[in-house]
Amino acid sequence: MTFSSGEPKGQPALLALTEMARENVQPPTRAQLDRGLQALSTRMAQERARRSTLLRWSLAGTMATACVVVGLTLLPRLRNGTKTTTAPALTYQIEGGSLIGGGYLRESGGAGIRLSFAEGTEFVLMPGTRGRLRSVDDAGARIAIEQGTASFQITPRSNGRWLVDVGPFLVKVKGTVFTVSWDATNERLDLKLRHGRVMVSGPISAGEIALQAGQRLAVDLQSARTTITDERPEEAWGEAATLPPTTNAPGERPSPEQPPGRTLAGASPSPTAARADGEHHWADALAAGRLDRILAEAERLGFKAVLEKASNEDLLALADAARYRRRMNLARAALLAERRRFPGSPLSLDAAYLLGRVEEVSERSLARAVAWYDEYLSLAPTGTYAAEALGRKMTLTSKLEGRLKARPIAAEYLRRFPNGSYAGSARALSRAP
Amino acid sequence: MPTHRSHIPLSLVEGPNHRAASDGDLARGLIAGNAWATAEVWRRFAPMVLIMAARTLGSESEAEDIAQEVFHRLFRKANTLRDPDSLRSFIFSFAVRVLKSELRSRRARGWLSFKEPQAFVDLGSETMDVESRDLLRRFYGLLDRLAARDRLVFALRHLERMTVEEIAASMDISHSTVKRSLAHATAKLSRWLESDLGLVGLLQGKGWNA
Repeated sequence: MTFSSGEPKGQPALLALTEMARENVQPPTRAQLDRGLQALSTRMAQERARRSTLLRWSLAGTMATACVVVGLTLLPRLRNGTKTTTAPALTYQIEGGSLIGGGYLRESGGAGIRLSFAEGTEFVLMPGTRGRLRSVDDAGARIAIEQGTASFQITPRSNGRWLVDVGPFLVKVKGTVFTVSWDATNERLDLKLRHGRVMVSGPISAGEIALQAGQRLAVDLQSARTTITDERPEEAWGEAATLPPTTNAPGERPSPEQPPGRTLAGASPSPTAARADGEHHWADALAAGRLDRILAEAERLGFKAVLEKASNEDLLALADAARYRRRMNLARAALLAERRRFPGSPLSLDAAYLLGRVEEVSERSLARAVAWYDEYLSLAPTGTYAAEALGRKMTLTSKLEGRLKARPIAAEYLRRFPNGSYAGSARALSRAP
Repeated sequence: MPTHRSHIPLSLVEGPNHRAASDGDLARGLIAGNAWATAEVWRRFAPMVLIMAARTLGSESEAEDIAQEVFHRLFRKANTLRDPDSLRSFIFSFAVRVLKSELRSRRARGWLSFKEPQAFVDLGSETMDVESRDLLRRFYGLLDRLAARDRLVFALRHLERMTVEEIAASMDISHSTVKRSLAHATAKLSRWLESDLGLVGLLQGKGWNA
């Protein structure tokens, strides 16, 4: 054999070596082949058994999931029986006007229109208000206010469903008492909630807004301004439909995260301020991925009040939601509040580590991040985030002060966490010249 | 007690002779999941894979592992074979891919390890003299220093005596890439051969000039 074109010729040694390698491989014997086939069959049988086990478990899991889904679907029906499909629509009575084509409510006496439903709910359209009754069923009704002011007193029921279209907005109601106005000419919405809770959706930048008792929502579409203020319930109920003032509480400066015009809880003993110290279960909302909801609720309650009165878990959940939405000022404020208000709690320790993560976002505050990691490591040397804090500290030190300074940290990391997620970086740092 | 004997004449019925089945029939049997096809595919093609792997890696025991891997993958993916008549080249391509993967893993292990990897050569251990075995071990040590693709191209060309076109087809690369790899591998091996004084000494002992 000779090396063909494109390959160096005159290499007898290489030629001889390849020949030697080629010639010294013997074909397998029959026994070797039988052994090989036996090994292969065993391997494939084992794999089939593994796959079969996996399939059985998958099927069992699928069946269990299907049972849960079917159960959850059927349970409400079983509870309600067949009432929902056969129950008649609510009956109602109209005073001061009549219902004409298209559900239009036509005023007849100049004193407004009152709709009284059999189960106790009442709609009152103020004089001159134009509205339409769109639908009535066994769960409730849907009414549209096209211009003017209307009051609603809705009887709480578990399966009640009441909807109010106000201009381009939709108000979803359970049991509640509220007044709503729509100024079609100036495109202004004003909603005052006395009792209960409503959800308002429509062309609002924050998406769906949940209002609590005592709150007033004002939306000016032309200036694209949405304001939520806290008022005493009796004021909210008795006032005329005008846009509320949008000034801050006296002597109060807006926080960086606080939109202008937001009335801060804590300035006066308002109902919202009282609620800010309640349990919001934001940790659950966070687990469900409802970050915007947490932030909107905190915003509605007033950040300052929340930072002062929210529970330990809620504060950390708020900080997480703010971090995930890159609202670092709010995240920092929440974490600092956590550390200030709950100095002995485990979550306060976590906050020290998380403050490091927050500071890492800006190149200018990397040194502060290292300081927070140091703080965490000194307070919780074996804490949940110890490995992470040490790894981050190593990385940042290398970045800020060079590899030489980071090497002792790398050595410490490898000693303490030889299989940690930063072990590779630590080894590379240790080896680097 | 008398035993009742049947008077129906008995005859031995032979099963179909699978040894005579064509590659296409074999592939179709494999796709259908027939046990006879599995055994026959192994019997017919395992020697080809074992020999190629042993020559490429320099180790019969490692060649057995490669063959196991090749046929295991083949039996799992038999249904991806579009042309049953090309079963041989299908298996060969599988083997080439597995070998290439093994060579790459070896090099990666070599980089990650602090020690220089030692070539494990067990070819002809019963028939060769000590010097020849040492020569082979050193030769495979040099092959270990080549990049996976260069080594595989070199092995297919010079140990399997395949043409450039066959290599290009089985490795799914262009002719010019095969030629470039070949030239690259050969030049490097020649250079390393000349600079390995121990190997030069052994070669001279055999009467070969480096």
